[in-house]
Amino acid sequence: MEANKVDMFIMSNAKFFESHQLHIIRDRLVTIDDSKWVMVSTAQFKDPSTSLIISIIGGHFGVDRFVIGDTGLGIAKLLTCGGLGIWTVIDWFMIQGATREKNMQMLQQFLY
Amino acid sequence: MHLFQIKLYRILSIACLAGYIWLYFNLSNFYSKYTSQIGVCLFKRVTSIPCPACGITRSILSILQGNLLQAFYWNPFGFLLLAVLILTPIWLVIDAITKKNSLLTFYVAVEKKLQQKLVAIPAIALVLINWFWNIHKDL
Repeated sequence: MEANKVDMFIMSNAKFFESHQLHIIRDRLVTIDDSKWVMVSTAQFKDPSTSLIISIIGGHFGVDRFVIGDTGLGIAKLLTCGGLGIWTVIDWFMIQGATREKNMQMLQQFLY
Repeated sequence: MHLFQIKLYRILSIACLAGYIWLYFNLSNFYSKYTSQIGVCLFKRVTSIPCPACGITRSILSILQGNLLQAFYWNPFGFLLLAVLILTPIWLVIDAITKKNSLLTFYVAVEKKLQQKLVAIPAIALVLINWFWNIHKDL
């Protein structure tokens, strides 16, 4: 794919991924076929800041985990009073990283 | 995928361990003597409305005492959670011995099933009904 297209993608989507993954994503995007550009550029990534807000408000019921697609862990949180309240607090700090990881998993489906 | 397996198994074992410690404290006199007034549910402390999971501890304790009807009254999800609490450690040990990932496969399959609309909507409805019942019972 053309380098300027890739750079545009990286610039507009940098906040959705871990910063150490950006180099890998860029290198990979440059090598892949142009036909995948439509899929990559229209993919809907989850915003880490949004999931942090959801985690603070609805983390006790596991809503944050449901939103990023971790249905199993969401149910675990829901049925244990947010992990006795401890998991809720832990997830306030973990959920942004978890969201970025989910985004990376989603992008990997297009890349490989 | 391998990294995810390690992470999931770690979370599951920590959760089960915490669950058993919590049950132990509730079964021993320590809890009923000193901390029964406190309660652990953050949501209930803040809003004084019970959350969908309130009463599960009492439900599991009732099951352990053989009082199934009382357990259903406290919270029907107690049966589900007790089953998970018993099965998960056994499954984890089997997976560790045979070096397979059958629990992970099962977890991913269940997750995929729950994300289908036909399963998700009744499940959400069930949780909501149970929540209203909890509020009505004033646990």
